[in-house]
Amino acid sequence: MPETLMAESRPAITEPPPSSPADIGATQLRARVEALERRLHASDEQRRAMLHIMGDLNESNKRLANQRKAMLHILADYEQDRRRLGLQAERLDNSRRALLHILQDSHGDNLRLEASRKAMIHIMGDLRDTTIEVKRREQELRSKQEQLVQAGKLATLGELTTGVAHELNNPLNNIGLFVGNAVDLVQLGATDKQRIVKEMERAMQQVRKATEIISHLRTFGRAAPFSRDPVSLKQVLTQALSLMQEQLRLRDIQVTLDLGAGEPIVLGNALQLEQVFINLLTNARDAMADWPRKVIHISIAVASEAAEITFADTGPGIPPGLEGRIFDPFFTTKDVGQGTGLGLSITYGIIKDLGGTISVVSPEGDGATFLIRLPLAPPDTQETPRQ
Amino acid sequence: MKPLSVLIVDDDLALLEALPEALRLRMGGVTVETADSAATALDRMTDRDYDAIVTDIRMPGMDGLELLDEIRTRRPNTPTLIITGHGDNDLVVHALRGGARDFIQKPIDRDYFVAALYRAIREHVATRQVKERQEALESWADELERVVERLERELRAMPGRGDT
Repeated sequence: MPETLMAESRPAITEPPPSSPADIGATQLRARVEALERRLHASDEQRRAMLHIMGDLNESNKRLANQRKAMLHILADYEQDRRRLGLQAERLDNSRRALLHILQDSHGDNLRLEASRKAMIHIMGDLRDTTIEVKRREQELRSKQEQLVQAGKLATLGELTTGVAHELNNPLNNIGLFVGNAVDLVQLGATDKQRIVKEMERAMQQVRKATEIISHLRTFGRAAPFSRDPVSLKQVLTQALSLMQEQLRLRDIQVTLDLGAGEPIVLGNALQLEQVFINLLTNARDAMADWPRKVIHISIAVASEAAEITFADTGPGIPPGLEGRIFDPFFTTKDVGQGTGLGLSITYGIIKDLGGTISVVSPEGDGATFLIRLPLAPPDTQETPRQ
Repeated sequence: MKPLSVLIVDDDLALLEALPEALRLRMGGVTVETADSAATALDRMTDRDYDAIVTDIRMPGMDGLELLDEIRTRRPNTPTLIITGHGDNDLVVHALRGGARDFIQKPIDRDYFVAALYRAIREHVATRQVKERQEALESWADELERVVERLERELRAMPGRGDT
């Protein structure tokens, strides 16, 4: 602000220089004084005006200076903003590039996603096909299982038949002999009619025996749908034993029974349960074929809401490590052609179907004991056990 | 001649009723006894020498083959017939090797059975007769020898014969 300082030191210069004393007249002097006064006044006014202007100027200067300062501030700010902006632009640019990258990536992702989606649709389609296939297989499996049960039954039947053929041979043979005797008596002209009748009656008895065997086999082999009826365990066991007794007897196998006092009724199928018992009897029979002590002990007991049936034999038992496999289908320790390996697996299936369990214990050298647990029939169905 | 006696062994009681009756009707004068097990049969054999024994092959306890072995040791001359089920060919071979005279398959054909039994008994009787006759002959031969010896001694003792 050098101009402002100069304006304030000017008052000394505005004093007009004095006129020379030679010319001085009073008027002149006066005129001169007046002129001088006027000039002084004018110059004073001018000075004041000047001062005023100077003041204004000063003011303006100050404002200007302020404005300049403000401007400088603004400029600095602006500069800062510009730098910030530059940085931001740079950052923005980076972001833009990143975004581009991301967009590119996302495009790639989109493509991949699309591919995945397509793959997924494929998979879903496959899955649907597979589900259908699985369902079909399941159905197939179920029907195969049914067939297996029937096959197992027929296999059991086949084994039984060999034994039963011998059994059947006896009554047939006896019928032939009794009838032959009657024929002889008639031909010899026997007068004792009673003697002839006696032979015929004995023949009839043998016919009944044969019929019983046959009808039993026929019922057993029938592929009937398995219903669930109240079944008397004791009755079924008796049936199974009657079918097997001749074979067991001829092999010197003793059967001991401990059937208890109760009359346990289970919900099941008499034929299926009979098959279970026959399978277990056959198993015990074969296990003890070459064994000195031959006893099958069967017990039936009623525990809490379940019937417990045990089949214990005095055979060599199950070789260690095989207990877990003996219920597997087609697993057999018998020689080729001697067993199908289906008996125990079918037994297991039947018991499981009826909501029961079957297990085996075979302490070394102490035979094998099969334990079956079957839920008892609800009390309201206990009244009408059927065959 | 004493009446023929036959022992029938079977665990089927109905057969023990039917078969003896058939034999009585077909073979007049035959005495038929029965045993429902091999053990009973062996008991009976100690008291009596049967002309023939007929046994079933399948029996609980001692079976027909084992009984056959026992008969061969105790009564080697008694003809034994084995009753087998149809198709028990292995058992038939076993039985014949074990000394069975013949085998009869169930269902039993009565004509065949009676014929087989007759044949066995006749053979047995004939063998026995041959044996008896042979024994008789042997004893006669002994007798003759003794007579000859005696005669020779007597001859030697006769005066005038010793000096030549």
